[in-house]
Amino acid sequence: MQTSTIVPPSHPATGLARYWQYRDLVRNLVIKDLKVRYQGAALGFLWSLGNPLALILLYDFVFTHVFRSDLPHYILYLVVGVLHYNLFSQSVSQSCESLTSASGLIQKIYFPRILVPTASLLFTLALWIIAILILVVLYPFLGGIYHWGLLLYPLALGLYIAFIWGIVLTFSVLQVELRDLKHLVEIALMFGFWFTPIGYDINVLKPATREIIALNPLTQFMDLFHALLYAGTLPALSHVLIATGWTIATLTIGMVLFHRKARHLVEDL
Amino acid sequence: MPPAIIVEHVSKEFILRHNRAMGLKTRFLALFHQSKRERRERFLALDDISFTVEQGEALGLLGHNGSGKSTLLQIIAGILQPSAGRVIANGRVAPLIQLGVGFNPELTGYENIFLNASLYGFLNKDIKKRTKDIIEFSELGHFIDTPLKHYSSGMQMRLGFAVAVYLQPDILLADEILAVGDQAFQDKCLAKISEMRENGMSLVLVSHSQKQVETFCDYFVRLDHGIITEHGCFSNKSDSLIIAATESAT
Repeated sequence: MQTSTIVPPSHPATGLARYWQYRDLVRNLVIKDLKVRYQGAALGFLWSLGNPLALILLYDFVFTHVFRSDLPHYILYLVVGVLHYNLFSQSVSQSCESLTSASGLIQKIYFPRILVPTASLLFTLALWIIAILILVVLYPFLGGIYHWGLLLYPLALGLYIAFIWGIVLTFSVLQVELRDLKHLVEIALMFGFWFTPIGYDINVLKPATREIIALNPLTQFMDLFHALLYAGTLPALSHVLIATGWTIATLTIGMVLFHRKARHLVEDL
Repeated sequence: MPPAIIVEHVSKEFILRHNRAMGLKTRFLALFHQSKRERRERFLALDDISFTVEQGEALGLLGHNGSGKSTLLQIIAGILQPSAGRVIANGRVAPLIQLGVGFNPELTGYENIFLNASLYGFLNKDIKKRTKDIIEFSELGHFIDTPLKHYSSGMQMRLGFAVAVYLQPDILLADEILAVGDQAFQDKCLAKISEMRENGMSLVLVSHSQKQVETFCDYFVRLDHGIITEHGCFSNKSDSLIIAATESAT
């Protein structure tokens, strides 16, 4: 026996080491999903590039030939917003069913349950990173500005992912008890798109409407991404702080709820 | 040496939820229709169970359907939480409640080895060291690189079994599964289990067959409606029987 670990299954150690031991499980689950998704498709992973490329070309056509917007480099503004909103909406709608569809695993073997929705989020993230590569290539052509602030982008993205993680944990565990949740979430995500400044500038709104839109946590994150990737400036400190506040809130709720429900998850699946 | 498994005053109560509302519609209807309302009933599946399994020992859990033996196994495996009491397991526990948990039909046998083994908390680099033995034991040969969906059910079970035994658990929890495949392969499985037992592995075997338990186990606990009705040991039979099992396989 090379690696004999003492694992009392009904009282798992709460230390991070316990989760770290399962890191390859997360990796294998993500790789499995990626492989299964592109099974038999001749172009394989290239399809992940096709979607955002088509999106950019379509927007470019529509907004230079059909509609006109007052915002300079409107397509960059739009693409930055849409891509980041997609990360949110795809992660959240995917993760709703992550636990319920993994019931076969959960009922047969013990492993930290939190890894199931986490792997689902990382799978969406892996596909999304391929999509964002298109933006990296087309960035200068769309009018993007190279500035030192871009180095802060990974931090902003990390904060955003942590925020999404909290929501993903919450919804995955609530879906087990309330099977309608996924359908409600899908409708809410459609509304969410228009309640977030993605296709428009928040400053053109009436003050009263602006107040409402600013309550949406995604508005704060969009501001970070628009500042860094579109305007070529640093985001306002107040927006960074509000976004951090939202992240702490969703992560706390997600973690607490998940740990409370995870113990009896098996009996509800 | 600390015991392999200590089960202390374990009770498990399930709440049976009749007409459980899973959706909004049912919840809404329940406001108006008495008959659609959820009824809860408590059900005591295990009542104050205690026993100890020393390292290297084999315990058989006997009982009829619904006696609570599989529930107890799930609690020892950490899948279910006990309502009261606790279970302490010292060592790596491998539950064999189902073979090949997490197997995906689209992936090859080789890829599935990694998926399945990492569910037991193994790192890919540790699994890699064992793949040769696993493939050899499963007798799958070059089929290992074809997708699992083209395997026969026997081939899938052989692979699942090979992964489970080559993870070298300290404690094996088996729910009726101790041997799979055709007669020759079954003998190989039994010989492998005996070999692992000789190397100090503890075994908990759930079965309704007294004969199977007698063959493999030193001790037995009989459950009925969640309580221990009988327990005892098969006096000194186990050694000779295990040797017999090994011989018949070779």
